[in-house]
Amino acid sequence: MQKYSVFSLIKNAFSDHQNWDLAWKDPQPKKEYDVIIIGGGGHGLATAYYLAKEHNITNVAVIEKGWIGGGNVGRNTTILRSNYMFDANAHFYELGMKLWENLSQELNYNVMYSPRGIINLAHTDGQLNAYARRGNSMRLNGIDAILLNREEVRKMIPFADFSETCRFPIVGGLMQPRGGTARHDAVAWGYARQADAMGVDIIQNCEVTGFDVENGKISGVRTSRGDIKAKKVGLCVAGSTTLLADKLNMRLPIEAHVLQACVSEPVKPLLHNVVTFGAGHFYCSQSDKGEMVMGGDLDGYNSYAQRGNLPMIQHVLSGGLAVFPNFSRLKMLRSWGGIMDMSMDGTPIIDKTHIDGVYLNCGWCYGGFKATPCSGFVFAHTIAKNEPHELNEPFNLERFHTGNILDEKGVGPKPWIG
Amino acid sequence: MTGTFRTTIESNLINKSKIVNFIFNGDSYQGFEGDTLASALIANGVHLVGRSFKYHRPRGFLGVGVEEPNAMVQLHEGDKSEPNIMATEVEITEGLKARSQNCWPSVKFDIGEINNILNRFFPAGFYYKTFMWPKSFWMSVYEPIIRKAAGMGVAPIKPDPDRYEHNYEHCDVLVVGSGPSGLAAALAAANNGAKVILAEDKAHFGGSLLTDNVTIGNQSGQEWADETINHLKSLPNVIVKNRSQVFGYYDHNMTVMFERVSDHIDNPSEFTPRQRLHYIRAGEVVVSTGSIERPLSFGNNDRPGIFLASAATEYMKVYGTLVGKKPIIFTNNDSAYKAAIEFNKNNIKALILDTRENSDGDLVKEAQSLGLDIKFNSGVADVKGRLKISSATIGKLNSDKDSFSDLEEIECDCICMSGGWTPTVHLSSQAGNKLKFDEDLDAFVPNNKRQKETAVGSANGSFTLKQSLAEGFQVGFDLSNSITSNNKNTTVPTSKESSYQAHDKFWCMPLPEGKKPKRFIDFQNDVAVSDVELAVREGFRSIEHVKRYTTLGMAGDQGKTSNLNGLQHVSNIQKKIVPEVGHTTFRPPYTPVTIGTIVGREVGNHFQPTRKTPTHNWHVENNVVFTNAGLWLRPRYYPRGNETMSDAVNREALNVRKAVGICDVTSLGKIDIKGPDAAELLNRVYTNAWMKLPVGKARYGVMLREDGMVFDDGTTTRLSENHFHMTTTTAQAANVLSHLEFYLQVVWPELKVNVLSTTEQWSGAAIAGPKSRDLMKKLFPSVDFSTEAFPFMGLVETEFSGIHVKLYRISFSGELAYEVNVESNHGLFMWNKIMEVGEEFGIQPYGTEALATLRIEMGHVSGPELDGRAVPYDLGLQGMVSQKKDFIGKRSLEKNAFVDPERQTLVGLVPVDKKTKIPEGAHLVENDKASLPNPKLGHVSSSCWSVEYNNPFSIGVLKDGKNKIGQQLFAVYPLKNISIPVEIVSSHYVDPKGERVRV
Amino acid sequence: MLEIKCPHCGKRSQNEFAYGGDATIKRPKLGEEVSTKDWDDFVYFRDNPRGKHQEFWHHVSGCRQWFKALRDTATHEIFNTAKLEEDL
Repeated sequence: MQKYSVFSLIKNAFSDHQNWDLAWKDPQPKKEYDVIIIGGGGHGLATAYYLAKEHNITNVAVIEKGWIGGGNVGRNTTILRSNYMFDANAHFYELGMKLWENLSQELNYNVMYSPRGIINLAHTDGQLNAYARRGNSMRLNGIDAILLNREEVRKMIPFADFSETCRFPIVGGLMQPRGGTARHDAVAWGYARQADAMGVDIIQNCEVTGFDVENGKISGVRTSRGDIKAKKVGLCVAGSTTLLADKLNMRLPIEAHVLQACVSEPVKPLLHNVVTFGAGHFYCSQSDKGEMVMGGDLDGYNSYAQRGNLPMIQHVLSGGLAVFPNFSRLKMLRSWGGIMDMSMDGTPIIDKTHIDGVYLNCGWCYGGFKATPCSGFVFAHTIAKNEPHELNEPFNLERFHTGNILDEKGVGPKPWIG
Repeated sequence: MTGTFRTTIESNLINKSKIVNFIFNGDSYQGFEGDTLASALIANGVHLVGRSFKYHRPRGFLGVGVEEPNAMVQLHEGDKSEPNIMATEVEITEGLKARSQNCWPSVKFDIGEINNILNRFFPAGFYYKTFMWPKSFWMSVYEPIIRKAAGMGVAPIKPDPDRYEHNYEHCDVLVVGSGPSGLAAALAAANNGAKVILAEDKAHFGGSLLTDNVTIGNQSGQEWADETINHLKSLPNVIVKNRSQVFGYYDHNMTVMFERVSDHIDNPSEFTPRQRLHYIRAGEVVVSTGSIERPLSFGNNDRPGIFLASAATEYMKVYGTLVGKKPIIFTNNDSAYKAAIEFNKNNIKALILDTRENSDGDLVKEAQSLGLDIKFNSGVADVKGRLKISSATIGKLNSDKDSFSDLEEIECDCICMSGGWTPTVHLSSQAGNKLKFDEDLDAFVPNNKRQKETAVGSANGSFTLKQSLAEGFQVGFDLSNSITSNNKNTTVPTSKESSYQAHDKFWCMPLPEGKKPKRFIDFQNDVAVSDVELAVREGFRSIEHVKRYTTLGMAGDQGKTSNLNGLQHVSNIQKKIVPEVGHTTFRPPYTPVTIGTIVGREVGNHFQPTRKTPTHNWHVENNVVFTNAGLWLRPRYYPRGNETMSDAVNREALNVRKAVGICDVTSLGKIDIKGPDAAELLNRVYTNAWMKLPVGKARYGVMLREDGMVFDDGTTTRLSENHFHMTTTTAQAANVLSHLEFYLQVVWPELKVNVLSTTEQWSGAAIAGPKSRDLMKKLFPSVDFSTEAFPFMGLVETEFSGIHVKLYRISFSGELAYEVNVESNHGLFMWNKIMEVGEEFGIQPYGTEALATLRIEMGHVSGPELDGRAVPYDLGLQGMVSQKKDFIGKRSLEKNAFVDPERQTLVGLVPVDKKTKIPEGAHLVENDKASLPNPKLGHVSSSCWSVEYNNPFSIGVLKDGKNKIGQQLFAVYPLKNISIPVEIVSSHYVDPKGERVRV
Repeated sequence: MLEIKCPHCGKRSQNEFAYGGDATIKRPKLGEEVSTKDWDDFVYFRDNPRGKHQEFWHHVSGCRQWFKALRDTATHEIFNTAKLEEDL
């Protein structure tokens, strides 16, 4: 594989960039694979990569209905963090942070991990105390966290509303300095390129239409490009999990909901950090291109449409102006939606299933992007070893029966309530 | 000077009698009323406007309207400064200030242009391949440089001083666009009695009728447009809006439009909104949004002075402005000949290059008859002139059109190009229309609609006037008739127009031999033909991959002039047909929309409503500090003199413990529950038993969600056999009401109960403290306050000065306490009376902080404990859980994890030194020096200074807490490097037997 | 913004309503013996179809009645709404 570097870039410039290799091949599906990963999103591609790299399993196909990276990995707001309260989440996402920190070098693809700090704004002392509880928990778990007072927040985002007329004044915030952003498309492409180089077949425009299960064991998948045999099959299709699980007669604690996001036009650097509003639904970061990348809450009814309606955007942007009143004269350039696999406790599911050889990776709610590396890492382990990695053991499906649910928000099994 | 580049044929759409002064890049210019910033600058010979995004190449104007990718400026200064404004969309006003953006030190000399010199090293996606070494340099060196170079304009840093409004409209037929088909549809629908809204994005109505030499009936196109608009304006069933763009088509035929209300006015009144957002729910939507001309790709086709031919024509005919005086018209179709003919009217002879072998369209014949030089099979290979074009290298195309011959350099000051036309299908596509590819047009057109949206005219691929009018009138009639059934048809007028020959499906010129100038497709994002080729070469085959890898179509113009060319190039390279490659998704908004417009009036203090209690002003007069509790403002504490918050809180709390205090409890949720099955409902909703609660008595209750978690708590009082008064926490008031309604209506419709929120009906004051009874006796002398007559949890209804008063003997503070409830309009009166009578007992108001102190000392749980993650057992509420009956959530309590003896349960915490306050949010650990991760045994949820014992006290939850009483742990707060040895005690710190409330 | 026909009040914009989730879920009867699986199915598990979805809505800023709607989760089209006691 060609190594990407400034030198290869210069070298290729002198041949008019005519000699760059394919980033990944476009193979015909083979008759049989050791492992088929369904879903060519970030998680599926990362899983294939770690199967090859960590477990030396390379007879792997990633099959994708459309084009790789076209689902939530390509339509999220690119925020990375591990600022969770529950230990299970904290340790899992912290593995993610550690993988993010070296990902560009590991993949030889600049995923632009940018630890610009994520600040959760607090608007009452009670809220700041609740954040402190989380921040202290993070610190006890060995994760970076800083508690900011009003003046410290003001230094970081002086253009935020610190006025007397502010409806919900900023009293402080919780910051994870290592939190930040990455370039979403690059993550999918970087994993795809390395997985491909290690022998993984990336098969696009290939829709799964059914499964072959014999005596409780998977034997293959049926696709729009023919039947493919497989010893093991991993589902990485957050947003469409139910649609495939239906074909395996699995009913899941998941609902599909649409989450919208939008960007402003690009402007010169203004907002350094990732900021979340604590008195409404709004979060924002500025991309390297200069766009303010903004998101908020679900549209609030079950949906498989990758688009939403304007009132939710209006609601989110009103929260935006409550924090940043100067954003009023910026313009919204584009809005879009993604389908969220909303699990009933807000926490993902990475587990084996009742079918031997079928593995489940789903329920990512709004937070799947940041988990891309660690999800792939532990899912590859789960598939290779046929048992969960210790970090995804708590993310089992059984928890909805035992009661070991992981409800960070404490809203219960109504995903549409924000 | 209003510019030397003005036409001799005058346009009636600008007002030459009114000169407007404006400033661009510090220089003063003049234009006329009706000029856009673009037309006025062009008239003044100014073409260099801005710099491109990536390579910082000098850029001028390409278009004349919303399609403009290049001429982006920073408008105004200070708090009204606005980045990324298309100069083509700004109507100049007196004193307007604009400047170039994305350039330093100036637009003429921009350091950033080094990117262009080095552009061979910066192909599409170059940043994915480099900047990875050394690792630490990404965040510290590379990214800051990239961020600084990127971006376009500068965001203001002050709040926006302007105001924005929202409006909601319903209509039968919304017509989007006032070209010939739109006018026809609006006229037909209006004549047929429908309620019509006609929206035009531009200042002038008429669309292509303003620039085309056509005849409708016996009028010119423009005359017919004027007359039609005036007629429509006169009709009561029609709303006509200019400067109004429908930018989004959402579900259930909801469209959204923004209206530029005062941007074009010199000195608008402060009460005039700047922009207005209209939510329009339309029965039917006619999409008559027209079409946008496509550029041609050739070497350096982005240089200032290179225009779309239609833009050149519009500048001449609408704005009376000449884009140049030595023009080359470069086209693959007939429509660009209009520009040549218009130049000729101004005595300017254009050279025409046509990639086709021939054409005998009317316009071509007219150009020939005017003696214009037309070169067929010819094209532009490259241009010269960095800041403004000075010459073009033109040549003959060979038969395969893959090379040029006979290259020659021709002096020119502008090139007016046309690569064909793209129907503006954005709204149709947003509405869910599955587009189809029209081979003749070489473009997508609407096909299968999902919503009530009908495209007409060139937006529908119908490019002749005759077709447009016919479609418009027919669709306007059909759609309106489906609503009004008036059957009133409008006759289609006759029309005359030029005939057109087919266009050449060839738009990307070969490179001149031996040279490799950039041939741009997406101007704003600097995406060239070579970038698209590179993307495909590297395996980015899907159009979405090409878009994302090259950023084609992702700039502020969202690819209005570039998407189709890019798509065609991808299909050409892959030797696929365009429909196989597909198109990218059209996302709202059509053009960027000001965020202030989307938000409207929900800004500043109006972001969310503020709920105030009837005694709000009294609190203000008594030096209150408020706190936000949801939308409510609640008194937090009332500092006196130089008191700190903790001084004030301790004083207020101690006064309740020693004497008597008054607290505004109006914000608590209140629900009136009535009906023969009211007790049964409570029995099902709460975890404890309710059937036998006597009339006139209150009871504390806890309700769960179905998943077993504590949802809310409060006291509910039986007012009569079938009538209860429920209280909820402030936070959950609305949710509890919806919850009750759900179970009553959906799950147990057999229960005969009605529930009604009465939160706003009652003003409540808690009177707490050992002297509260004395106070109450004096205030209500007719009431017997003896415990026998008015026991704890009792209710007495009485009157005061003719006001109905409900007295509840309930207590959150743990002291002897009463709650006085009166109808809200008497709340302030009652409060004042209590204060008056209470003076001799030492009454003081207390806020939520003192209230918290009092309840924490008593071990009462509240918001921080009721976090939606606790079962009753965790909070020491297992005694509240009936074993004898079923209730919401009971079955979940059997789950293994919920009965685990290791669960964290409620305890009290006292610092060993009895001095150091334990901060809320601290965690409990065995060893504060253990290596990380240090296992957490629990956390501190609520803390106070115990005024009873004069030392700090906290409550929290602790793993196996019940069995740890008396043990010592550490409360750690690593965020502030705090570690406090604490002793575990009972959560019932003060009056553990609860005797005080019963005295 | 969706337009929802409240069976009691008529067509109103979505901002008058609150969503209530899957309407095919039946709460086990009070006091009834229910297996862990059946109970957890009720509390946590959902059919989550792509296409026609029966769901509850609550006219919170109107008549405060809960009702049922049959809506397409892929297109958001609402085919029908009905009072609770009526069939969709």
